[in-house]
Amino acid sequence: MKAKKTKFEGVFEINGKFATVNLVPGFKSSNEELVKVDGVEYRIWDYFTSKPAAAFKKGLKIFPLGNGNKVLYLGLAEAKTASFFSDIVGNNGIIYGVELSERSLREAVRVCERRGNMIPILADARRTELYEDSILDKVDCLYIDVASPDQAAITIRNAQQFLKNKGWVMLAIKSQSIDVVKPPKQVYKECLQELEKYFEILDKVELDPLEKAHMFVVMKLKK
Amino acid sequence: MRAFIATTIIGVFGLNENKKILLYKPFPRDPEKIAEKLKLSEIEFIEEERFVRGELNKSGYDEVRKGDAIISEFVKSNLRKLALEKKFVRDQSEFNQLLTKVNIQLAKVQIKKAIGRGSLIIHANGAVEELDKAINIFVERLREFYSMHFPEMDKAVESNEKFAKLVEKFGRRENIDEVELKLLASKSMGADFKDEDIQMSQTFAAEINRLYKLRQDAAVYLEKVLKEIAPNFTELATPMLSAKLISKAGGLERLSKMASSTIQLLGAEKALFRFLQSKGKSSSPRFGLLYNHPLVMNAPESHKGKIARVLAAKLSLAAKIDYYSKEYKADKLKQDLQQKVKGILSSK
Repeated sequence: MKAKKTKFEGVFEINGKFATVNLVPGFKSSNEELVKVDGVEYRIWDYFTSKPAAAFKKGLKIFPLGNGNKVLYLGLAEAKTASFFSDIVGNNGIIYGVELSERSLREAVRVCERRGNMIPILADARRTELYEDSILDKVDCLYIDVASPDQAAITIRNAQQFLKNKGWVMLAIKSQSIDVVKPPKQVYKECLQELEKYFEILDKVELDPLEKAHMFVVMKLKK
Repeated sequence: MRAFIATTIIGVFGLNENKKILLYKPFPRDPEKIAEKLKLSEIEFIEEERFVRGELNKSGYDEVRKGDAIISEFVKSNLRKLALEKKFVRDQSEFNQLLTKVNIQLAKVQIKKAIGRGSLIIHANGAVEELDKAINIFVERLREFYSMHFPEMDKAVESNEKFAKLVEKFGRRENIDEVELKLLASKSMGADFKDEDIQMSQTFAAEINRLYKLRQDAAVYLEKVLKEIAPNFTELATPMLSAKLISKAGGLERLSKMASSTIQLLGAEKALFRFLQSKGKSSSPRFGLLYNHPLVMNAPESHKGKIARVLAAKLSLAAKIDYYSKEYKADKLKQDLQQKVKGILSSK
């Protein structure tokens, strides 16, 4: 078995699967597979259950995360995907994770306690005033995966308040959460039009069939 | 002269109007204690803040303010630098460690507060529904099992609960002490069971009866919790239905924020989306779970939709009262509802 480097920082490929180096060796953040290659423990990043990995699989060209980055992560859920981000940013980086559901955050706290570079915040991502005090830094990267019809507005508001100039944004557009009746392609188009006013859209891939009716967008804040 | 206090995870700062730091009182280096202090600081002046205020007063600042937005923002954006300068941490990585630990403590407090008693309804209702399912599966198996010995009883005793009770109490078909069954037993085509076969069926039946008892206890408990948390809603909707509605909505808070048209169609999501996606070709559903309400169930077919609509309107009011004011107004609501229903039924 060999761990091949990919074009993305901190992301490896083992037997056709994506993987990151486990920041906390021996600790499973969810039910992912742990693999040892040449004495280094990797965590398999399953592209069926995690959107960024699905985007890699579907040919994403730009993935802006790197060691030492500060990230604001909206829609932390059980910190499954975020745990891979935590591996990539390492001990000098930090991930602020905002989650609305107390039930999900209970699972996330278990992960955050062991990882040491993730901060769980119980709040509604629509209301930045509720958690602005907890976010000390201007972040390098904003990741949004929230199920809400006003996804675009949430993205814009959070980016303007917390993102560095020319900072990166990764967004998973959930067309089913925005409008179930319209065809996904039309929802993407409308959403992107709205975003284009504030961001430079650099890459986008549709995640079907790995993740139904989702589009993964990478963009940069204008200014 | 005016001065400001800014409280951070590394301690309390005293600043003047020109954002110059005059004083710094560090916190103990213990994440749990820090989180406690920060939480307390939201409602009162904590020890360190009182110390800084006192010192500022001594040096001639007669007006000391806490929680000024601009000052807080200034301290916040410089906190990483300050933490190094004041030697609270050795490097950024240590600062991150501290920041995470403190925030995890704070998140735990938040989560504790966010877990409301409302979720009890969802879980109690889930327990009742799942017990029903489990009991059904077990009784089916018991009927098949015992029918090898006494096949005639399967059709003669319709009630599942009675069936399980009979098996547990009497065991062999010859022992059953009921006139009708006795007759059937004497002419049964069932096989003879060994003692151990009978014992097994009796143990199984006893376990099912225990599940019936548990189901009943859960239902009683559910009703008690419902009356405590949503008295108005429960009175209007009947206990079993209100538990189902609250579960479907995902809690009383969410239910209370729903429009009455949403409540009217709770449980009919599939039909609703079929209607929306067919762009009006199929007809819209008139009710979901509300179908099980006696007012809707007993109404003539042509009026069911209308009654579901007024019922939903009153239910949404009741849910809002339950979540926000807790006042008991169910009698008034019930009266209004009955009047409206009467009006609908008397129109043609």
